Amino acid sequence: MRFAKLVRRNLFRNKLRAILTMMLMAAIFFFVVTMMSILKAFDRYGNAGEGANRIVVQSAVSLATPLPFAHEAKLRLIPGVVDVCKMQWVGAYYKDKKDFFANFAVDHDHMQSVFDDYRVDPKEFEAFKNDRRGVLVGTELMQRFHWKIGDRITLKQQLFPYDPELTIRGIYQHPVNTAALYFHMDYHDEMMGNRGRVGTFWLKIKDPSKMAAISQQIDGMFKNSEDPTETVTEKQFQAGFMEMMGNVKLLFTSVSSSAVFMVILLAAITMSMSARERVTEIAVLKAIGFERRLVLTLMLCEFTLLTLCGGALGIGFAKVAFAFIPMGKVTQGFLAGFFIPNDSMVVSLAVAAGVGLLAGGWPAINATRLSVADGLRRVV
Amino acid sequence: MTTLVRIDKVRKIYKRDAFEVPVLNGITLDVPYGDFLALMGPSGSGKTTLLNLIAGIDRPTGGSITVEQREISNFTESALAGWRARHVGFIFQLYNLIPVLNAFENVELPLLLTKLSKRERRQHVETALNVVALGDRMFHYPRQLSGGQEQRVAIARAIVTDPTIIVADEPTGDLDAKNAQETLDLLQRLNEDFKKTIIMVTHDPKAAQHAKRTLHLEKGLLVEEGAPAAEAARA
Repeated sequence: MRFAKLVRRNLFRNKLRAILTMMLMAAIFFFVVTMMSILKAFDRYGNAGEGANRIVVQSAVSLATPLPFAHEAKLRLIPGVVDVCKMQWVGAYYKDKKDFFANFAVDHDHMQSVFDDYRVDPKEFEAFKNDRRGVLVGTELMQRFHWKIGDRITLKQQLFPYDPELTIRGIYQHPVNTAALYFHMDYHDEMMGNRGRVGTFWLKIKDPSKMAAISQQIDGMFKNSEDPTETVTEKQFQAGFMEMMGNVKLLFTSVSSSAVFMVILLAAITMSMSARERVTEIAVLKAIGFERRLVLTLMLCEFTLLTLCGGALGIGFAKVAFAFIPMGKVTQGFLAGFFIPNDSMVVSLAVAAGVGLLAGGWPAINATRLSVADGLRRVV
Repeated sequence: MTTLVRIDKVRKIYKRDAFEVPVLNGITLDVPYGDFLALMGPSGSGKTTLLNLIAGIDRPTGGSITVEQREISNFTESALAGWRARHVGFIFQLYNLIPVLNAFENVELPLLLTKLSKRERRQHVETALNVVALGDRMFHYPRQLSGGQEQRVAIARAIVTDPTIIVADEPTGDLDAKNAQETLDLLQRLNEDFKKTIIMVTHDPKAAQHAKRTLHLEKGLLVEEGAPAAEAARA
């Protein structure tokens, strides 16, 4: 603590340089923590709620190929399957294409049993069940469009040849998925001409450790049918969506790593300048009795503090900004409920400190390695 | 007088790339307690090198340097740093104050290495700044002080730990005549009133006049020892 003042004063010895470096750090770490949080959000969707005990049965041909309703009865017979719920991605939008969000047709009789991580007021759920055109809406979506229960809404078709005309009967709560909409499978099937086909079956499994075996059993059962299946866990299913966009995780990680590498180089330039212009001062400190190790520690503290302050600024700004930015709206429901998690903040701050140590390490070691006599000779 | 510094056959050779440059060629010298010694000589004669060796910021190639019966040339870097903190006060030609610290904080720097409390440090710093008559400029930054005042702050920094030796390398080299005179008077006062042992490198015979004795170096050898009066006459 006795040297804190020296560190602090040196930190701002060139105010413009310090502020510019901090702003650079802030900008980069705003970006880094945002990238990390997006990756976390992807993971959260896959691991949300009780999803660890659900598997998804889809067509082995492609996700766009529907399976017959008839599969459901066979799936129910498999030991270990608690319940089955049909679900269809509808892909409609509200008013304008920019008002897109996730919307599904769901088997309302089995929805609560399979998706037990979704919370709905019992009265509202009852109203939803009793209305063929009833719909359950996520909290964020309700806020986004300023809807209220009882509102009639019409979605515009994209994938299927009808415009769903719906009445909001309830609001669901979910820790992650807060911007989706669920309406009756019956209504969807009727509008589709009672084809009796659906995109996916969601199965709740009694013992999660048996999910792999049950998945194999299901796929084996339909292997030689007209509609073969591919069964995956909920997490794999969500990951599959991500893979549709390419290896997003790799892309985000690469871009973030490049940003951090770039900032290390830029910080190293700043810190080298700072260390070089202080060679004589360092020599003076050593002359009056400061050990090299102490001088090195003080310089590293200063450099680390510089990147840490800048990083904290950017990370803090990201935390506040994303608390106010309606990401569900901005990303059309893709990142609904997005926020900067605390663990991403901690990791980003640690990276910011690491940047200070890495970027400042070499200049500080070089500056303090010079002998006192040589250091004094540089200027005198 | 009892010997404070004993320099015995000290040699110093600098290595510059493939070349060896001999700077000191076997110097033997005793500096007693309470001495005020001026080292003079042309550029490259080795006077600053000799001063650095006495102050423990450089190591001799051969020979030995003993201060208060302790052979400092064998100290590790860390031990030397500790020894300098306790025994040596430095005054440089360009003052070398830390620009981001005010006068008080600059003078306090060597005390940060001691176990003194904040209150004790404050007392020491105020005393040192009062000795150099800068008690009223305690919170001024170096850029807010004149050259002479900066050098006085540097002197306060050098004496604040009450060191055994004060080494001064061209302390008046960057000052005008008036400030140079004030600085030299101050050094003389430290020597006479506070019994500080001072070793000063200077080009200026008038500055050397303030010392008790003067030594001349040429090509790394001591060539003569003169009294201040003789130096003055030569000037």
